Formats: sequence, C-alpha cells, structure tokens
Amino acid sequence: MSASSVGATDQLATPPAGPAPMVAEARSGRWGDLWRAVGRSKKAVVGVLILLFFTVLAVFPGQIAPYSPTAKIFPPALGPSSQHWLGTTNVGEDIFSQLIWGTRLSLVIALAVGAVATLLAVLVGVSAGYLGGATDGFLSLVTDVILVLPIFPLIIVIAAYEKNAGLLTLIVVLGVLGWSYGARQLRSQTLSLRRRDFLESARVRGERRSYVILHEILPTMTSLIVATFLGSAVYAVLTAAGLQFIGLGDPSSQSWGTMLYWAQSNEALIAGMPLWAIAPGVCVALLGAAFALLNYAFDEISSPALRVRKLDRARLPSVEPSSEPAEPVSVEEGTILKVEELTVAYATDGGPVVAVDHVDLELARGEFLAIVGESGCGKSTLLYAIARLLGAPMAGEIVGGRVLFQGRDLVLLEEKQLRAVRWRDLSVVMQSAMNALNPVLTVAEQMRDACRAHSDWSNAEIEVRSREVLRLVSIDPVHLHSYPHQLSGGMRQRAMIAMALLFTPELIIMDEPTSALDVVAQRSLMMQIKELQEELGFAVIFVTHDMSLVSHFSDRLLVMYAGQVAELSQTSELFDRPLHPYSQGLLGAFPSIRGPKVRLTGIPGSPPNLANPPRGCRFAPRCPSAEPRCTAGEIPLYPVNGSLVRCVLVEDAS
Amino acid sequence: MLVGLTTILAFVLGTMIGLVGAWRRGGLMDSAMPPIFVITSAFPYFWIAGIAIWLFSLKLNWLPHGGGYDPIDTPAWTWHFAHDAFVHAILPALTILVTAIGGWILTMRNNTISVLTEDYVRMARAKGLRPWRIMWTYAGRNAILPNLAGFAMSLGFVVAGAILVEYVFNYPGVGYYFLDAVTNQDYPLMQGLFLLITVAVLTAILAADVATAFLDPRTRDMR
Repeated sequence: MSASSVGATDQLATPPAGPAPMVAEARSGRWGDLWRAVGRSKKAVVGVLILLFFTVLAVFPGQIAPYSPTAKIFPPALGPSSQHWLGTTNVGEDIFSQLIWGTRLSLVIALAVGAVATLLAVLVGVSAGYLGGATDGFLSLVTDVILVLPIFPLIIVIAAYEKNAGLLTLIVVLGVLGWSYGARQLRSQTLSLRRRDFLESARVRGERRSYVILHEILPTMTSLIVATFLGSAVYAVLTAAGLQFIGLGDPSSQSWGTMLYWAQSNEALIAGMPLWAIAPGVCVALLGAAFALLNYAFDEISSPALRVRKLDRARLPSVEPSSEPAEPVSVEEGTILKVEELTVAYATDGGPVVAVDHVDLELARGEFLAIVGESGCGKSTLLYAIARLLGAPMAGEIVGGRVLFQGRDLVLLEEKQLRAVRWRDLSVVMQSAMNALNPVLTVAEQMRDACRAHSDWSNAEIEVRSREVLRLVSIDPVHLHSYPHQLSGGMRQRAMIAMALLFTPELIIMDEPTSALDVVAQRSLMMQIKELQEELGFAVIFVTHDMSLVSHFSDRLLVMYAGQVAELSQTSELFDRPLHPYSQGLLGAFPSIRGPKVRLTGIPGSPPNLANPPRGCRFAPRCPSAEPRCTAGEIPLYPVNGSLVRCVLVEDAS
Repeated sequence: MLVGLTTILAFVLGTMIGLVGAWRRGGLMDSAMPPIFVITSAFPYFWIAGIAIWLFSLKLNWLPHGGGYDPIDTPAWTWHFAHDAFVHAILPALTILVTAIGGWILTMRNNTISVLTEDYVRMARAKGLRPWRIMWTYAGRNAILPNLAGFAMSLGFVVAGAILVEYVFNYPGVGYYFLDAVTNQDYPLMQGLFLLITVAVLTAILAADVATAFLDPRTRDMR
C-alpha cells in the first residue's frame, strides 16, 4: 500500500550486497543463527514484542477487554475516563473493548494473507528461477502483469460485489493479488543460486528436482522468504484496513478498519470523539510497523554492510598515541615514503581486530617494492591505510603510527588537505578494473573528473593528455570515449593504469592489478608497468599473492604474515636465501623454472584468526621448525645482512 | 495529477535524503532516519489524512478540509481560482508525501550503502575528487538504478493510496470518481478510469525505463 512495503525488501534482491553473506549465514545453522541475530537487533526485538502483545490481545480478547464490543449500554460520546479508557462511540459502545476485539481480525488477515502470498511467491518464484526456459518465461510474464495491474481498484471492485463473502474471500483476494513482488525477488535469488557449487553438486549426485528445491534451495533463502512474508503482512494490514475504512467488507465485523469507517462516517473528530478515530489508526500503524521493523532488521542481518560498527578503542590490545602534529618530520634524502609503526584495526561484532600490526617500511624514489602474503594477511589493508582510503564504510581505522610522504604525515592530514596530494602525487590502481571504474561514466569522463579536481586544464588539454596516457599503456585512443563494460578485461586494467599516470605521480600503489587477467596478459602488463616506471621514474608498491609474478620486477620484497612484517629484503636475496620459514614455505609453493625438480610442499594449515592471534611468533603453529622459545614472547625483527626477519632462528646468525 | 506529481516529488526528495543520509554514515540523520521512516511508512495513508484534516483545518483552521476548490468558486483560468485550487491541494499532497517518502529514503539509503562499498567509490576518493562529485556521480547515479525499477513497481500502491486520500478529502480526482463509480455501479465510468489508470502506470514505467537507459549505459547496449 505504501511504497515502503515494496521498498524495504528491495535490498535482498540486489546481488552485490546481499546473497553471498546471506547464503553463508543461512546455510550454517539456519534457524539458530537467525534467532541469535534477531536477538541482537533492537529493531527486531521491538517488532517481536509488539507482535507478541497483539497476539495476546487477539487470543484472549474476552479476558482482557472490560466490556463486550457490541454492547450499546453506555452513554454515547463519552470522553476518556477510568471506566472507559478511550471513551465511548456515538451509540454508547466502549472504544477500548472494540479495539481489543478488533485485534483478532487484523492479525488473522495479516498472517493469513502473508502465508498465502508467500506460498504463491515461493511456488512461482522458485519454479520460474529453477526450471528456467519456457516455464520461466511464462511465469515471469504472469508475475509482471500482476505487478503492474492496478490491484487496489480491482480489490475494491471485487470486494464491492462480494459483500457477503466475508473474511475468507478477503484473504484469498489479497493473497492472490499480493504475491507478485515477492515472486520476482525469489526468482532472481533462485537464478543466482542456480550456478552455485552446492547446487551443482546436488545435481551431479543425481538428486531429484523436488529434493534439490526443498533441501538445498529453500533453506538458503530463509531470509528472503521471511522478508516476503513480512512484506506481504504489512501490505495486508494496510490494504485490509483501507478496504474496511471505505466501507467495503462486512461493516458489522469487529476490526480496526471498521472502527475507522464508523468513526469517519460519524465525523468522530469533529464530534468530540477524537480517540475513536485516532486509536484504531495507531493500532494499524503499530502492527504494520512491527512487521516493517522486523523486515528491516532482517535486511540488516542478511546484509551486514547496513549496520554501523564503532571501533572500540578501549578493547584494543595496545594503543599508542598518534604522533603530534608539531613533531618535525625528517626523512632521508631520496626516501619518498616512510611508514612507521602503522597499526590498523577493524571493528567487528566480537571487538576490534588488528589487521596491520606495527608495520615499518621505507621506499626510495623510483623503487619497486612488492608486498606478498596469503589472503587475509593484511597486505591490502596496509596499502589502503597508506593511501588513507580506509574508513567508512569499510570500518577499518588507523589506530597508530605515521605515514610520511613528501615531508608530511598523511595520517594527520584532513580530508581536504589529502585531496591535494591524491592522484597528483599518489595514485592507486585497484585489483579489479571492472569494479574500480564507474560503470556509468566513460573512461574519458572519469579521466576528466580527476583532471578537473587537480588542474585548471581546458577540455581540449584534458583530451590531449588522456589520449597521451592511453597511448602510454598501448591502448588505441579511439577507446577513450568507451564505457568500461565495452572494454576487455586487459584493456580496462590498462585504462586504469593510464588514469593513474595522468599526473605522473611520485608513487603509485597497486593492489593486485594483474590478478584478474590470464597469465599472458599478466606478463605483458607487468613488463609495461616496469617500462613505464623506468621511463617516468615513479615508485611502486605492488601487492600480490603471486610471488613468482614479481620476482623479475621488484627491487625489494616484503613478506607479510598475520598483519606483521615477516621478512623484508632484496628480491634476489629473498629468492635465493629465504630466511623466514614462511618465506621458505611460500617459495616452496610454486615450481622453479630452472632449478632441479623438487616436490612442491606448500604450507599446511591456514593463517591465524587475527581476532585472537597466537602468542609469540604467529607462524609457529604452522612452522616446520618451531621451537618452544618461538611462543615465549613477541618476536622482534632481526637485521640479517641487510634484511629484516621476524624469526628467532636467525637470531643466532645475526 | 495531484497524486502523480506528489509521487514524483516524494521519489525525488526521498532519493536525495536517502543518498545524503547514507553518505554521512553514522551521523545523527543516518541513525535516526531508519526507525522513524520504517514506522511512518507503516501508517495508513487515509488515517494520516484524517489526522491532518483534524489538526490543520479543524483545530488550527489553516487550510480547507476537503474538496478540490471552494464551492462558491467556478473553475476558471484565473489567479484567484488557481490559488484556491492550490490551497486545497496542500493537505492531500502533504499526506501522500509524508507516507510515501519513507520508503524511498530507506531503499535509497540501503542502495547507497551497498554502492559505497564498491571499488569505484574508493577509487573516486583516491582520485581526490570533491565529496559532492563522488556522492552524486559515483555513488548516487549507481544507487538510484535499482530505485528506478522499484518506482515503476510501486505505482500500484500509489494508485491505492490516491483512492483513499481522495476519498478522505473529497478531492475530485481519479480515485474519488472511481469509488463513486463502484458505489453507483457505473460500469462505463469504471472502465474508463481503469483505462486511464493503466495508461498512467504504463507511461510511468516507460518513463522509468527511459531514465534508466539515460543513467545506465549498460542497458543501452543490450539490443
């Protein structure tokens, strides 16, 4: 009835935010998890409480209501008093009692219509999405037609000519006309589930369709089904009240809508019985709001991005104050970036998690530094912390340390001051150009945005410069006015690098810029980056999980593990003599082209949970040469022949 | 007319408020908005209408309580009549606005929040663009796309709201005549109005599609 009953569930259907976490959450634990999540959400608790309250009223109206709702035995049009809390109607009925008796019908309609509409939506939506083909075509068509039909006028017409049919007809009509929106969402969700591995595997196992739908698809869509139910319940409450209000349906029935109808036709507001009209409306709104609140809470549960988490600094293991602004910043000649004790924490439901732990690094002008490590070791977080790109909505925060760049501490700069540094002096190339280029703007427009923000070039100058940088990365400038989706993956990635070169910055930060490409394209892109770097002289920090990729390109290599620097040394040195057992493990995980044939070992186990890192050396639980002293206390970085290694085994050598 | 304009106004305003609210994540506006609008959008249109009449025209006597214009006036192209019609339209329009806007704010807020986690928004920050530019061109323009689809789909609800609001205000609009036709069993009028409503809904869907094609180049290429 109102736009929101459409709107509130919308989030669930948009693929980027919803499905992935939702599916994961729903599959593990299903109802149990859902209940715990509901318990944590204030909105959901309020919604449940209101519903419980109305349920009690609906089940025991005789015990709760002081009088009979139809007894016309009191003086008419009384104001509120201790005997009649809400006064009486113009024919002497107790309004409060009517209200309580009316609960039953409204609640029954809400639940029944919700159930009918949800059942139809699941039936149509899931079969359309799962069966596909002509069935999908037909069912989608039906859904869309019903969706745009002017439903409410239809209901009015039906209700007007079925005056005597009563409750059941109302429920069926509302249910039959109200399922289409949910069906649409369930269909798109089913479509996106269809290609998931667990469904494929069920199909390969030879399970029957009905089994796959009942045991694999429906449980994963619990959240969406619940949302459909709640959405149609809101719609039912409001629509039913609306129909009763205009006098359709049975005017002698006990419901809030009917009360409103009588109040309106007796001009209760003018005749000095305002509570007669106000109270039932408030009840309708409360019931509707209870369903809507629950619906909204489910939305938040299924897409965690909607919740705001605050970083609880008090719970950080160790907090050191950031450097004072007054402190003089001295950096050696030739060093363009100096990171000191940089620490980044994420706020999670279980308290803060330190993802980057006291990292130090230095970068010389024109140097190529590669940062490697497994997924989740904090390398991307470190990168974005350096570029000051953390913060809402990612909820990562720099909690300590300094990032000295061009004689200034970036950590202390205001967003406005940062804007001046960004792109002119420090640009960023992201992992997936598909996601990092704005899909609704052409490459030229996105370049122009950057140019406008940092220069006073004319449009013609911007055009010339844009063509120039595209040529630098070997893209034909005819593609300048293309949209990102019109370019191939390799071209998008190159276009993004071109964009990063617009102002020939001193430092370009690259977050796995080649990982979305095939091996041949990766090579050629790396060669190109290296050539450009030698030609233009910018420094590069290059994050990757593929050590072999950077072996020929980087000057130095930083191996990260569990948020800390594990080893930092010259690339060739590290490849020839890896000192940290973790570096040795990483090197053992891919084949050497020239060396003798050896069995690939890899590293057993997985990185530790950073919410609760192991004591002492974080790699010790997976380390083949761990000793008791490894877990005794914090391991410092030991300098060995110009390298830095966080391992007690090298202590003896240094 | 009245309902159509108000709906568009509610959509535009709601979308903007939702965008700005989501942009200032965690701010006062953002934390207060969702619960308030979840509740206001659950209020029945017609009930808000009744309360509005009671408060603004009966108690405060600021605005007329019903009809499309003063009965002593005759419709004509004069300033006086235009003013009269405008004054009579304020309350019904406000009613629709208040109840409809919540839904748009909430959906836009949710869309924006999911768009804000996209890499291209982070990239726009990295480029050092002004927040205003990022908000509109990078976050807003992408977040509004699912909302446009929702706009087309919500029109059925708009019609429903219109009927009830016009009924309460005795406002001479399509919905009012429709109810009249149903009670008097005037079939030709009913048919005509159904046609009118359907055409209006289809036109709006077409407009939403055109807007989507204008804002999203990806839909333009799919031939």
